[in-house]
Amino acid sequence: MVKIGFVAPLTGDQAPHGQDMLNGARLAVERANAQGPVLPGFRLELVALDDQRNPTQAVSAAKKLVADPEVVAVIGHLNSSCTMPASAIYHQARLLQITPVSSNPQISRQGFDTFHRTCATDDLQGPGAALFATQELGAKRIFIIDDLTTYGRGLANEFKKKLQALGAEVLGHEGITQGDKDFVPLLTKVKALGPDLVYFAGMFPEGALLIKQKAEAGVGGRFMGGDGLFDPVLIDLATPQAAEGVYLTTIGSDIRQVPTAQRFVAEYETRFGPIGAYSAYAYEATSIAVWAIRAAGKKDRAAVLAAMKTLKDFPGLFGPQNFDEKGDSLIRDVGVFTVADGKFAFVKTASWE
Amino acid sequence: MNSLQLFFQQLLNGLTLGAIYALIALGYTMVYGVIQLINFAHGEIFIVGAYAALTVILLVPFAAPPWWALLLLCAVGAAIVCALLGVGIERAAYRPIRQSPRLNALITAIGMSFFLQNALMLLYGATDRHFPNPLPLLRWELAGVTVSLMQLVAWATGALCMIGLQTLVMSTKIGMAMRATAQDLKACALLGIPVDRIIAVTFAIGSAAAAVGGMLFGLTYGTINFHDGYLMGMKAFTAAVLGGIGNIPGAMVGGLVLGLLEGLGAGYLSAQWKNVFAFVILVILLLFKPNGLLGERVADRA
Repeated sequence: MVKIGFVAPLTGDQAPHGQDMLNGARLAVERANAQGPVLPGFRLELVALDDQRNPTQAVSAAKKLVADPEVVAVIGHLNSSCTMPASAIYHQARLLQITPVSSNPQISRQGFDTFHRTCATDDLQGPGAALFATQELGAKRIFIIDDLTTYGRGLANEFKKKLQALGAEVLGHEGITQGDKDFVPLLTKVKALGPDLVYFAGMFPEGALLIKQKAEAGVGGRFMGGDGLFDPVLIDLATPQAAEGVYLTTIGSDIRQVPTAQRFVAEYETRFGPIGAYSAYAYEATSIAVWAIRAAGKKDRAAVLAAMKTLKDFPGLFGPQNFDEKGDSLIRDVGVFTVADGKFAFVKTASWE
Repeated sequence: MNSLQLFFQQLLNGLTLGAIYALIALGYTMVYGVIQLINFAHGEIFIVGAYAALTVILLVPFAAPPWWALLLLCAVGAAIVCALLGVGIERAAYRPIRQSPRLNALITAIGMSFFLQNALMLLYGATDRHFPNPLPLLRWELAGVTVSLMQLVAWATGALCMIGLQTLVMSTKIGMAMRATAQDLKACALLGIPVDRIIAVTFAIGSAAAAVGGMLFGLTYGTINFHDGYLMGMKAFTAAVLGGIGNIPGAMVGGLVLGLLEGLGAGYLSAQWKNVFAFVILVILLLFKPNGLLGERVADRA
C-alpha cells in the first residue's frame, strides 16, 4: 500500500473548511485508483489527520505522517500558522508537501524544496483587496482587524501596505483572538471613528460574528475580508441580512467560471453537495501528488520529490499548472466575491498592481 | 459620538457580558460554598444549557408563540435539563468521593468537563451552530447611547435570576439549610438536616442559573460551539474568585466587574489585550484583597 497524508482541521469551528478539502482530496484519490494502480502492485490510500487549526496539533500530525514509511506525499495544511511549522518537519523528512490553500507568502520563502502550494499568496491577495476597496468601492477611511494568526496578520499587513501606498487613510489596525465571541467593545470604538470600510483578515467563525455585531452596533461603512471568509456557513452564522453586501477576495478565480473544472464541479456536487471554497485546491493538490508518485514509479520519498521537480503544464482544474522555484503555483488569480441575496456572487478577477 | 457617550456605550457593552459571567459564576460560588469543590465541569453545564435552549428553539415552530413566551420556554427547558444534569453529575461523580482528599474531586471535575465536551461534540457536531434569535431587532438611542432589546433582555434576566436566588438563599428554609451546610456540613448532618439533598439542590440551582446564562450567550452572539464552555467557564470562575468565592452577591459583583473590565479594556486599550488587562486588574485586586471584593473568610472554616 502507498499512502498520501492529508491534514486539515476536521473538528472545531473551522471543520467545514477542512471537510470541504477532505472531500476534494478523497475524490482525487478515488479517481486515481479507478484509473488503475498508482504504482505496480500498490493500492493508493488517503490518510486523513485532524490538526484542529492548532499549530501544536499540526506538528504532531506531521510527525505522525513522517514516521509512516508508506506515506510518500502530504496534502496540507489549511491554516498558514499550521503549515509553517509542519513544513519544516516534512522538509527534514524529504517528504513532498503540497498545501492547497495556506496563503502566507513567508512559508515558501523558507527555501524548503519539499514545499509546494496551489493557490495565490497574500502578497497578491492583500494588494488586490486594497486596490478593489479604494478604486471600485471608493473607500477612503479604513479600519483593519485581523485574527493575530500567521495568515490573518500577514494578509492584514499586505493590505495595509498597499492602502498606504494608494494614499487611503488607515484609521487603526487591531487584533482579535480566535475563538472569542464578543467584539462589540472593539466595534463600538470603530463606530466612533466612522470608517467607510472595515477590513477583516481572518477566518469565517470570527468573521461572521464581526459582521453580525457590526450590523447590530450600527457601525457604518462596508465590510470586506479575505478568502478565510469564503464559506456559505459565514452567511448562516452572520445572518443573511447582516451579510448582504459583504465583499471578500479569494486565492483563485471562480471555479464555476473555469470551463476545464466543470466536470470536477459536477462530480463533486453529486457526491458531496455544494462545492466548498477550498475543495478544488485540495483536489488539485492531491491530483498533482498522484501524478508525482506515478512519475516516480516507486515507493520512495526522494524519487517522488525528484519527479515533482519535473512537472510541467500539469492539466489542472484552473488550466496548465506550473510551480516557480519557491514552490508557488504560477496560477495566481485573486477573485472578488460579494454576498447578494444571501449567496456568494462572483464580481471580478482583481489585479494587484 | 463624543468621548462621554463612547464611555457609556462601552459600559453598557461590558454589562451584557458581565451579566452572563455573573450567572455562571453563581454556580461556582454556591458549589464551593457547600462542599469546597471547584466544579470545573460547570463551564460545560453552561454550554449544555445553550444547546438545550437551541434545541427548544429548533423544536418549537419559530413564529408561533410571541418571542417572550418562546424565551421563557427556552429558559425553563434549559434550566430543567441543566438542573438534572448538575444533580446527576453530583450523584454519579462527586458524592462517591466526597470523603476522599479534595484533590481527587478536583481531578474528577476536570475529567467530567472533558467528558461533557466530547459528549456534546458527538451529539451536536464539531462545528459552530447558528443560534436563531426570535427577538425583534429593536434599538433605542438615548443621548447618543444605543441600547438594544437583546441587551435589555439580558440585563433583566440576569437581574431577575440574581434577585430570585438571593431571596431563596437568604429568606427560605432551604436557603437557610444551604447556608448552614456551608458553615459546617457534619454538624448539619448531626442536627438532622438532609445534607445530601441540600447539596443536590445547590447543584440544581447553580446549574439552572448557568443554563439561563447559556441561553443568553447563544442569543447574544448567535453562534455556539461545544468548546465555548471552557473559556466562559474559566472567566466565570475568575469572576467568582474576584467577587470572593463562596459569596453569592460576590459572584454577581465579580461577574459584572469582569465584564466591564473586558469591555473597557477592549474599547480603550486594544481588543487583543483585553484578557491581559482584565487579569492584570484581577491580580492587583487579589494582592490587596486576597479574599475577593466581598470575600468570605474561608480560612476560618477550614
